[in-house]
Amino acid sequence: MNGFMASDLAGTLATWVAALATIAVWSYLVGYRRLFVLAQHLLAGLATGYLVLLAIHDVLLPRLVTPLIEHPRDHLLLVPALALVGLLVGASWLPRRATAPVGAILVGGLAAFALGGAVVGTILPQIAAALPATTAASSDLAGEVISLGITTLVLLAFLHGAPRGGLTVRAAAVGRWLLIGGIGGWLGFLLVSRLSLVVDRLAFLLGDWLTVLR
Amino acid sequence: MTNSPTTSGLSAESVARLRRTAPALVLLVALVVATLLQPGAGALRLASPDRSHVDQLRQAIGDLPSDALVLIACDADLGTYPEIRAATRAAIEDLGAHGARLAIVSFTPEGRAIAAAERDRIARSASGEPPADLGFTAGAEAGLVRSVTSIVPAAADGPIFDAIRQRGGGIGAFDMVLIVSGSDISARSWVEQVGSRLPDLAMITIAPTFLDPELEPYLRSGQLLGLLATLRESTAYADAIASASPADRGPGITPLPMLVGMLAALAALAEAASRRLARRVGRPPRRRTS
Repeated sequence: MNGFMASDLAGTLATWVAALATIAVWSYLVGYRRLFVLAQHLLAGLATGYLVLLAIHDVLLPRLVTPLIEHPRDHLLLVPALALVGLLVGASWLPRRATAPVGAILVGGLAAFALGGAVVGTILPQIAAALPATTAASSDLAGEVISLGITTLVLLAFLHGAPRGGLTVRAAAVGRWLLIGGIGGWLGFLLVSRLSLVVDRLAFLLGDWLTVLR
Repeated sequence: MTNSPTTSGLSAESVARLRRTAPALVLLVALVVATLLQPGAGALRLASPDRSHVDQLRQAIGDLPSDALVLIACDADLGTYPEIRAATRAAIEDLGAHGARLAIVSFTPEGRAIAAAERDRIARSASGEPPADLGFTAGAEAGLVRSVTSIVPAAADGPIFDAIRQRGGGIGAFDMVLIVSGSDISARSWVEQVGSRLPDLAMITIAPTFLDPELEPYLRSGQLLGLLATLRESTAYADAIASASPADRGPGITPLPMLVGMLAALAALAEAASRRLARRVGRPPRRRTS
């Protein structure tokens, strides 16, 4: 049992809804599109309703409305923030010159977070971790050399245009096969992952719903 | 006359549809049978013999000081959470057994739904106190950065919230973060946005399989102290914790239907390969152009 549903009436009802929704989605396997589409619409509607509730209950009321009403002097920065939100909401009928800077601030801020984090948190530490230590054992050094070789071959496979020269062409082909092997391995992992989700759903239907599996 | 009834009473279209859907239905029936047969299939094991990741995670939790503050960052996806559900529950139980004081936060709406459901489950099971609820923080990575300095909601009241406030009120107040990763906010976001600002913060993660290639380098570089990112690692960890305390975490992913599914996938692969090979053998050789 997945443990999410209580044993009371609400839990039983939730289990039935979940089971019927699962069967509705699986009906696509036998070609019944209507039930599947109905399940899709149900998901979209529920997700939208949930997001709206979450935005109002967990974000807008406690972080914007309540502070502005209760302690407006302590939260002066929320006033321009509110104005920016208003500009975004009215973007469809306000002039572009008024709304473009707001969008630019939003996109620029997100890009700065992502880029800064990627450089400081991933690229630099990973380069530092990949550099061979001066006291590294020979097996570590061999691993570094192999990694460098594989990286070079895979990069060769990405060379723009057709590689020229017999050696480069062969190296690029080896790189391509390494790439295919890597993607294949990852897809294998993904298959196991998705299979586990199907098995979990079956366990839910047989255990929580039909109670034939204990 | 595609819709003309056959001798058995089925139209040609129905027969064609049945033919198209038969493999999926047969596989589904086989998986159902395998799931039902599972209790008798004790010879099969799903857990990996390589337990290094499990040991790393357990050591990271074992090294926590007594009465440690641990933040559970629940940002899993609804679609992939079943894969890591058993490991996540085992980790929460493991942390509780080590005397950690837990708080839970989410930076994605899906993660918030899962966090609320898990808190309800723990409260119902009466196996312990549910983690203190830090709620949902909007803004994705920007929200993560804001939480470095302030994570406790203004209205929150209780001993764990007070302890967090006494230590500064941000993520830095915690001794460790357990990141339940999903596709939107994963351990990568935490390493990039929080790890770079709080380098001494211990981070461990449980992630669905598709994130394994992305997160493994962070474990190698020491930016993550523990990582469980495949089904077999999650199963091995849940087994290890179950042997220590036999609480009911619900059925894990059982091995027999997984084996049936994998054999079906291999059969489909072999069939496609043989068909391709037969086409290639039957094709006339290419003429070389000078």
